[in-house]
Amino acid sequence: MATVASGALVNLEELVPPSPHFNHGTSLRVTGKLQKYDVETAIAVIVDGNASLKVDTQHLNLNLRIGSIFQFIGELLLVPDHEAILKARVGRNMDGMDLNLYRQTLQLLRDFQAGR
Amino acid sequence: MDAPNLVNIHVKLLAFDFLTLKPIPLDPTSFSRKGKRLSRAETVGIVVTRDFKPSRFLKFDIDDGTGCIPCILWLNQETSPHFSRRCPSDVRLISQMAADFSAQVQLGVIARVRGKITSYRGSIQITVSDVVIERDPNSQILHWLHCLRLARNCYDKVVVPPTA
Repeated sequence: MATVASGALVNLEELVPPSPHFNHGTSLRVTGKLQKYDVETAIAVIVDGNASLKVDTQHLNLNLRIGSIFQFIGELLLVPDHEAILKARVGRNMDGMDLNLYRQTLQLLRDFQAGR
Repeated sequence: MDAPNLVNIHVKLLAFDFLTLKPIPLDPTSFSRKGKRLSRAETVGIVVTRDFKPSRFLKFDIDDGTGCIPCILWLNQETSPHFSRRCPSDVRLISQMAADFSAQVQLGVIARVRGKITSYRGSIQITVSDVVIERDPNSQILHWLHCLRLARNCYDKVVVPPTA
């Protein structure tokens, strides 16, 4: 079994150039509220504050409910007009997650890793 | 306070930390982290791969956001010579428990995994002894906080050799 890349923890607002995470093929873990979902294309749009991201969910078997919080792990694809779409390989409903605690902990985690 | 002995404790390590553990020569059951011996670990994360061989093993990876930890859950208890001297009813129970764990470990679930730290072909992994599927969406966050606190207050404590 090939080793799989870990999805780096990012906030949606960080997914803009020149962020090191905003690269074609980067493995990411993103979290946001489901705003839109197109059944035909299996493209979902998640939002967090003012930021949003398209997520390709065609490989997932997930009950996508508008307004719920979802977390996806996958690879970021940058299409020619700099639009980003995450090709998700794993997703899950995270309703009930404390998003403020999540953001604060993410920062603590990064500080800890940077200090190693 | 003396630095604690961590052998046989399920240490809560972030994946990026776990993956830097070093084997200890002539001691296949222990690994070294900052000069301390460890033998068991606990991780919490999302199951991102799953390779199932019935009656043999389930290999899977746990992604905790800082890295992926390879895990192996053995399912060959009823045929393995390793268990041949044990009571058959005990072996059946262990085998049934492992089969139950393997059914629960599905892509996308948040799993808390405990087990022995082992090495296979030079790569470090967890040989699974138990699995709990977490229903609380905050369990991953709480695990990260536990890992940070334990690393700072416990695991990183320097071993001071006793003075003569």
